[in-house]
Amino acid sequence: MVEQIHNRFRPLFERGGPLHIFFPIFEAADTFALTPPDVTTGAPHIRDALDMKRTMMFVVIALIPCTLFGMFNAGYMYNTVNQVEGATWLTHILRGMYIVLPIIFVSYLVGGLWEVLFAIVRKHEINEGFLVTGLLFPLTLPPTIPLWQVAVGISFGVVIGKEIFGGTGFNVLNPALTSRAFLYFAYPAQISGDNVWAVTDPSIFPQGYTGATSLAAAKAAPPGSDVFEVLREAGFSLKDMIVGLEPGSIGETSAIAVAIGLVILVITGVGSWRIIAGGILGTAITVLLLNTLPASVRSTAPQLNLPFYYDLVMGGMFFGIVFMATDPVSAAASTPGKWAYGFLIGFLTATIRAFNPAFPAGNMLAILFSNVMAPLIDQIVLAVHIRKRAAWKGVLNHA
Amino acid sequence: MGTGTTINIKKGLDIRLAGAPRPNVEELRPSGLVTVYPADFKGIKPRLLVREGDVVKRGTALFFNKKSDSLRCTSPAGGRVQSIVIGQRRMIERIVIETAGREEIEEFRKHEPESILRLMRDEILATLLTTGLIIYIRQRPFSRMADPLAQPKSIFVNGMATAPFQADPHVCVRGYEAAFQAGLNALTRLTNGKVYLCIDQNAHNPSPALNEAKHVEIVRFSGPHPAGNTSVHIHHVDPIKPHDIVWTVQAADLVLIGRLLVEGKVPESRVIALGGPGVREQARSHYRVRIGESLGHIINDRLEEGEQRIVRGDVLSGQKASRADSLHLLDRVLNVLPEGRERNLLGWIMPGLDQHSQSRTFASRWLRPNATWPLNTNMHGSKRAMVLTGLYDRYLPMMILPDFLIRAVLAHDVEEAIKLGILEVDPEDFALPAFACPSKMDLVGIIRQGLAQIEREGV
Repeated sequence: MVEQIHNRFRPLFERGGPLHIFFPIFEAADTFALTPPDVTTGAPHIRDALDMKRTMMFVVIALIPCTLFGMFNAGYMYNTVNQVEGATWLTHILRGMYIVLPIIFVSYLVGGLWEVLFAIVRKHEINEGFLVTGLLFPLTLPPTIPLWQVAVGISFGVVIGKEIFGGTGFNVLNPALTSRAFLYFAYPAQISGDNVWAVTDPSIFPQGYTGATSLAAAKAAPPGSDVFEVLREAGFSLKDMIVGLEPGSIGETSAIAVAIGLVILVITGVGSWRIIAGGILGTAITVLLLNTLPASVRSTAPQLNLPFYYDLVMGGMFFGIVFMATDPVSAAASTPGKWAYGFLIGFLTATIRAFNPAFPAGNMLAILFSNVMAPLIDQIVLAVHIRKRAAWKGVLNHA
Repeated sequence: MGTGTTINIKKGLDIRLAGAPRPNVEELRPSGLVTVYPADFKGIKPRLLVREGDVVKRGTALFFNKKSDSLRCTSPAGGRVQSIVIGQRRMIERIVIETAGREEIEEFRKHEPESILRLMRDEILATLLTTGLIIYIRQRPFSRMADPLAQPKSIFVNGMATAPFQADPHVCVRGYEAAFQAGLNALTRLTNGKVYLCIDQNAHNPSPALNEAKHVEIVRFSGPHPAGNTSVHIHHVDPIKPHDIVWTVQAADLVLIGRLLVEGKVPESRVIALGGPGVREQARSHYRVRIGESLGHIINDRLEEGEQRIVRGDVLSGQKASRADSLHLLDRVLNVLPEGRERNLLGWIMPGLDQHSQSRTFASRWLRPNATWPLNTNMHGSKRAMVLTGLYDRYLPMMILPDFLIRAVLAHDVEEAIKLGILEVDPEDFALPAFACPSKMDLVGIIRQGLAQIEREGV
């Protein structure tokens, strides 16, 4: 029946039809509802049932736990900070939806408009990769973000981060992170610092609520202090950080929600486990090395005493390595390259966190930098590969 | 190294396609018309030696190559030239020969299989050239017809059939074991290097002609498709280096060369397989047919109902054909698939128990790992930009990085493509990566164009 409806409207959008310039919109809606009827034109005459749409949708599915928990946490923070009487988990969720859904909606709407505009002008189909970008981006924002900034950010990411390179598949940087980086440097007051992590009732907190993230709290530990003590006094236990009921960007606070996404991505094979493993390994090894610095150095920056799993559960590290680093377009493609790329992200994140006081959120910069480095990593892998190929004489001659 | 070496191929995939041809050979009564396509001899300039209405014997030359008159193509059947169809730009499209009554046969020199081992290289090549059977000896790089002036460093005989579906070489040699060995003997005279016979470790219908072949190196391969692809064999046994030339022959084709040498006649028939989900259950089999037989006659009433696609070759790397076509000289198999134009609701989210996929996003991959699938020609998605994911790696068991090779070809970076191994591959090697590609890229076509560009411009 759906097919009949589509067939009735198809002529309007086809060549010569009055709405032909909007064909990409029809095509997107059409193939969204029904798989395309196209048949293979040559070899191979059979094709696997997997397509890009399904691949991208599974990333969106993997993001659902983070999205849902993000809403819950935003509502929970609101109700806790504003000391709302009689708050239950249901009111947390409702309040969280009220805070978060508009952000997601604006991201999809504005980013989607750009996507459609470029599809129409360039006469190509609308790319489903946007469904991922449009959701990833809001999850990296604080819940207090002004909606106009969401619109500006996603516009920058989609247009400058992706479309000017030629669209999905040709971009160098992860578009969602490009959007966030833009906001981060253009409007730092609304995306970083200690005042943005909880939505507040202006009648109670006219200046907004001051509440640091666990990462910021750890970094702010004064020289000579015990960083664990500082975290405890700021109200952060390791359990909170894992569960995620703490201040932070919408989607990244819960290590458990991210872990569910990780399992979905890895089990379905949609996300590269090598990149994720490389990232965790890079973080762990770097932090373990930092832990062995002389006590005199560590006492001046007490966060160097934190074990590596703190680094994974604090801030956007885990979220970034699972959802941002695994974007295949901006990641390294060769198998050894994926390990190196993941490792580089982990290493850089830990290093920035340890030594750069200006940026608590080292992960975003680490991933963007590694995006730029990914082609170079692949180039090195390729050079080694070409040399190995030249020496290859066959299995029999090597035995 | 000695006879009995086994090479295990790990990467790859056996697509569990329904419709495998049974391993028995049925005789197919000839239709009385056979067709020769001069275009099969790619790269030559054919000049006709016969006219419509001429009476020809089996083995009479039909045309020769204007570029070098030693190459002739001979008629696979005796009879009368019914029609010569000239296509665009005065290209000879096809020559149709009508057989009737008793067939006259041109006699060539007969040899004992053992005496072939003492023949001169030039003598064998001359026989292959004057009959046109040299077409069955292929040359790498570029998979073109062997150049008799080239000195191949080794010759690879492919005795495997791993793609869905190819004719089983063990079945094709049945009844012609001596001819097959004679063909092998001839090959040993054509190279100063070795002749390798690559066979399937786990062949279902093993024939001693292959498993116990003499005078050649037998190399056994095991593992999923493309373990049976010639490129894979060469790569693992005696890889092609810059300026190397390797000749390759399919075991089923070698039977024809062997028959020519032993019987002293141009062979008239060969064994082909007919398979695929579009063929009726009881008709999925091997058939002995006339060379150049019409597809309409072979297929006749053997297909399932509905719109079907006929493929000359296997479903991964073959070519579309129609009933009006005939068997080309290099064809060994016909596959038939239903055209899949039906649309599925919300394909991006359905669990997909009824869809065949290598992706673990489909429930069928988890719950029905051993099902066989009556696949059709549906694209299952639309074309998207190439994303380098490393996915293709899993389907190419060679020291080649397919993503980067494809990218180099797309960028027309010939030098890089050569460094990355394009001269070691054939378009068919990219059929499996293309099958799995979620962006629905035309990887086979890209490699074909890349090879053609390099062949045109010279290495």
